[in-house]
Amino acid sequence: MEPLTVPGMLPALEEIGRYVMAAAAEAGLDKRASYRLRLAVDEIATNIVVYGYQPSGTEGDIIVSSTIDDHVLKIALEDTGPEFDPRQHAMPDEDELTRPLEDRQMGGLGVYLAFEGVDDFHYERVDGRNRNIFVVNRPSAAPAT
Amino acid sequence: MDVNIRSIDDITVVAIEGALDAATAPIAQQQLLPLATAGCRILLDLTGVPYMSSAGLRMLLSTYRQLSGKDGRIVLVGVAEEIQDTMSVTGFINFFTLRATPEEGIAALKG
Repeated sequence: MEPLTVPGMLPALEEIGRYVMAAAAEAGLDKRASYRLRLAVDEIATNIVVYGYQPSGTEGDIIVSSTIDDHVLKIALEDTGPEFDPRQHAMPDEDELTRPLEDRQMGGLGVYLAFEGVDDFHYERVDGRNRNIFVVNRPSAAPAT
Repeated sequence: MDVNIRSIDDITVVAIEGALDAATAPIAQQQLLPLATAGCRILLDLTGVPYMSSAGLRMLLSTYRQLSGKDGRIVLVGVAEEIQDTMSVTGFINFFTLRATPEEGIAALKG
């Protein structure tokens, strides 16, 4: 699929979601794997806007791209916001996730869902850009497209 | 995303249509929270919600917190399987009452 460029703002999340679901369908992912990938990408795209572009007062785009080979679907998100590695973000541990809701901090839940939803996740900072890469294994029986 | 609010007897039915993400969940939350008053009975119908991110979980958390200690009750109906998965891995599901259909949800709130 051709890459998609959207403004780095929250209303763009819907279009990013549609792109991811289309790529997941092309890669032959089942309903559950497609949903989890959409959730992963959506959570990180949200962070790019909320922790990247918004607080720094800068405007920029998010570029979504996808590649499919025989084994995996990769989705990449690129942005020009401040350097932000989601892997450095504090994540809820088992204690937090079983705690009564009254006592929850809610921090890092999106990042937790993002990592939980894919088979592999990479982050790199290249040429002043953040690149978040989501990797999902394709079902072995899926025909090459 | 649309939020439709109506009353059935003493139950407030809140039906959401559309995806709940970081753009839309805060809007739904603004409409839901004022309904979470002392002694309220809320049926949250998510039949029309195909997708919910952690922003939707925050909406549920805020509502839950506002209800607790107020003798208010909320029942969720029509929660998509994938959303139930998200609620499950985050430990949210244990703190909410879920029913398959609005009819069952109303029965649970009246019981």
